Amino acid sequence: MLLEINGLTKYFGGLFAVRQFDMQINEGEIVGLIGPNGAGKTTTFNLITGVLRSNSGTITFAGKDITGKKPHEIAKLGIARTFQLNPLFGDFTVLENISASFHLYPRSSLLDIYFNTATYRLNEASILEQSLEILKLIGLDKMKDELSKNLAHGHQKMLGIGRALAVKPKLLLLDEPLGGMNPDEIDFTIRAIRKTQQKGVTILLVEHNMRIMDFCEKVIVINFGKKIAEGLPEEVRENKEVIRAYLGGEKVA
Amino acid sequence: MEQLVPTLTNILVLSSMYILVALGFVLLFNVAGILNFAHGVIYMLGGYIGFAFSVVCGLNQWLALLLTVIVIASFGVFLERFCFRPFAGDFNRTVTICIAIIVILETGVNIIGGTKILTFPAFVEGILRIGHVSVSHERIVTFAIGAALLGIIIWFINRTKWGQQMQAISQDIEAAALQGINVHRISAFASALGCGLAAIAGCLMGAYIGLSPFMGDFMLVKVLIVAILAGVGSIGGVFFAGLVLGAIDAILPLFISGAASSAIAVAIVIVILLIRPQGLFGHEMEM
Amino acid sequence: MDMSESLSTRDGKKLTKPAFYAGLMIILSLLPLFISQGYMLHILTLTFIYIIAAVSLRTITISGQFPLAHAAFMGMGAYLSGMASKWLGWSPWLTIPLAALMTAGIGMLIGYPFARLRALYYAMVSLFFGIGVTQAIYAGGIWTGGYGGLIGISPLLPPTTSKVPYYYLSLGLAMVSIIALYRFEFCRIGTTLKAVAQSHLAASSVGINEAWYRILAMGVGCFFVGLAGAAYAHYNLVISGTSFNFMATLWLVMYVLIGGIGHFAGPIIGTFILILIPEFFRDLKTYSPFIYAGTLIIVVYLMPQGLAGLPQMVRSWFTEHRKDKRTVHAA
Repeated sequence: MLLEINGLTKYFGGLFAVRQFDMQINEGEIVGLIGPNGAGKTTTFNLITGVLRSNSGTITFAGKDITGKKPHEIAKLGIARTFQLNPLFGDFTVLENISASFHLYPRSSLLDIYFNTATYRLNEASILEQSLEILKLIGLDKMKDELSKNLAHGHQKMLGIGRALAVKPKLLLLDEPLGGMNPDEIDFTIRAIRKTQQKGVTILLVEHNMRIMDFCEKVIVINFGKKIAEGLPEEVRENKEVIRAYLGGEKVA
Repeated sequence: MEQLVPTLTNILVLSSMYILVALGFVLLFNVAGILNFAHGVIYMLGGYIGFAFSVVCGLNQWLALLLTVIVIASFGVFLERFCFRPFAGDFNRTVTICIAIIVILETGVNIIGGTKILTFPAFVEGILRIGHVSVSHERIVTFAIGAALLGIIIWFINRTKWGQQMQAISQDIEAAALQGINVHRISAFASALGCGLAAIAGCLMGAYIGLSPFMGDFMLVKVLIVAILAGVGSIGGVFFAGLVLGAIDAILPLFISGAASSAIAVAIVIVILLIRPQGLFGHEMEM
Repeated sequence: MDMSESLSTRDGKKLTKPAFYAGLMIILSLLPLFISQGYMLHILTLTFIYIIAAVSLRTITISGQFPLAHAAFMGMGAYLSGMASKWLGWSPWLTIPLAALMTAGIGMLIGYPFARLRALYYAMVSLFFGIGVTQAIYAGGIWTGGYGGLIGISPLLPPTTSKVPYYYLSLGLAMVSIIALYRFEFCRIGTTLKAVAQSHLAASSVGINEAWYRILAMGVGCFFVGLAGAAYAHYNLVISGTSFNFMATLWLVMYVLIGGIGHFAGPIIGTFILILIPEFFRDLKTYSPFIYAGTLIIVVYLMPQGLAGLPQMVRSWFTEHRKDKRTVHAA
């Protein structure tokens, strides 16, 4: 088991955003996390990645307890994520966004960097190469010198995914990666996600677009901060609880 | 023991003045979203313009006070519209424009008014004596005006439509705009109000301890201390922090030199912030 | 190729090119041959020292923090070095680097709890801290000389009649500092700082410890401004709290903003212009604050890139203009 969440709880004031939430993800899986708006999906992501502090419960990753660790420590342990609102390094070019994100591996020491040693130059060359590879995977290699703040929305989202890939994660958390994309972009993104999974990355994704549920091995449904269903996509689709949760909101199928 | 009554009245005067100016600063920040570093010099300008009206033009002090408030409040509207609103959100440029305002006003007043301390004519003469205790009428009136104004402000914020709109904007500016609140108009009003309060404090303090071109810097520090201690988004906190600071400033210099007590006050604030970065009453800030 | 190089060619291409600096260096090195009046050399010596302070201030802003206590740190370097040399009898050659290191340490200590605060809050707190430092200087009694200032600081060189040695020392120090800060900004460290400034969420999600990097920027910036302060102390031989108060910080900030905060050369240009121009228009000296403030206003409204952005503005105006001409012909 790669990621295990037990009894995770987070409340703001009097409101529970996540309540006694349990989840297990095995290595190599693609797992979907779905639920109506406000169900607690992004909060769960924020809790896993340390952006928010939980009130109780534990999160274990690859055997290590990561509850309460800070975001950069979690990235170092091998969890990367994208964000719904997709913050970027706006004044950097597309290529710079990716290369700046190669902060962890390969890691040059401060002295190496400052004094421009051979180690540093080797690392930078390797980073450049890997950045270009990622750009190719996400289809942004043609616009590598564009300022990222000038990109179209769909491309910006791809850039967010590319940036997460620079972390060389074991677990990739994608928060609505298809949001605001047109059908072509959606196809492309789904293919890129599959390629990433084939390289051995475990993926947990939150999405409203049901197409993506079709190739998830497991779907977990959350509502009002609690897990209400778990299983294969077809099973979940038929589940009465799930249908009731979405009534008045979006349709499940 | 003879120090008790003067010290107590000193605390009341200082606190009410600090709160008056700090409120204006906090209002401007909460409603118009502007960190107005120039608030101190506006306070100073108020004092000097009041002086100009009353001493140079020979008008009655109360009339001078009224005119000063009108002038400075209008200046506040001008500032909000032309100097702050264009740069809302751009911190570098907001700081730059504040610096420009500070430099222009301070140097201007320095040149015209000179560096000597000027005395603002007292608003009321006379001393009140009760038994062994004597207090100047000036102090009583200053505190009374300050307290009355604060009471009016609180009533205004909670009970009137514009006051409530200000509260709404400070909580969520987008929601307020969507509700049909004219954010621009209320921001301009908040600016006028804040600057007007600072102007009154400037005149009153001018009568209390005199005017100097650098009194703005002195007040800016107090305001910042109060604002930071009070915490993000807390008006009640401003009252408490203002009272605490007034007490510190009235009591500490009795025992140690002025500079040392300032240094200590600053150190205390920094320590408090280390323990509780969101201020005494603020809610947790997101990064 | 170092990824960060592309950033340097983008902002202020013409100005960060080595040719610009080489030319400037040559001119400045040869100046004493042509200028004999000690006063001009003195002003230039001070200018170089202030350039170090201004550039280091800008270095801190790269990480997204706006330090409003920079002159106070300069004062810290000045007083630490001055007091050590006066009361402990140590040589200035020792106390100057030590004072710089201590200033850096204090800067990092102060930066630590506040590195997680929003830019606005950080600005307020640093403003405060700066005032606290000046008050502490005034309250320092005999040790700091109180309001009267610290006198009798050991000079860096044995007493000479000529200002020339100090000119070259100061120029050399400025050159070294500029090179050091330049490298800091345009290597991966600087890129990481700029990333943190643009989005701390995105930065931390890729493993960047943003608090740590902000503290690092503070440390580096404070080291060099402490260095400048200490150098000032052993050149001027007299220092007082008024040279390092809030107004002094505002001056430094003005140098940076008018020169252009987005360009590495901005603070250099800003400091040169704002210190030297009043020297040529001596009669306007009382009004110089107005001129500065006026320039600030112009910069804020019309030229947010500062003076360093002028070539860029002129160039883009020309290309716009030429574009119009071409469309006219096409029609």
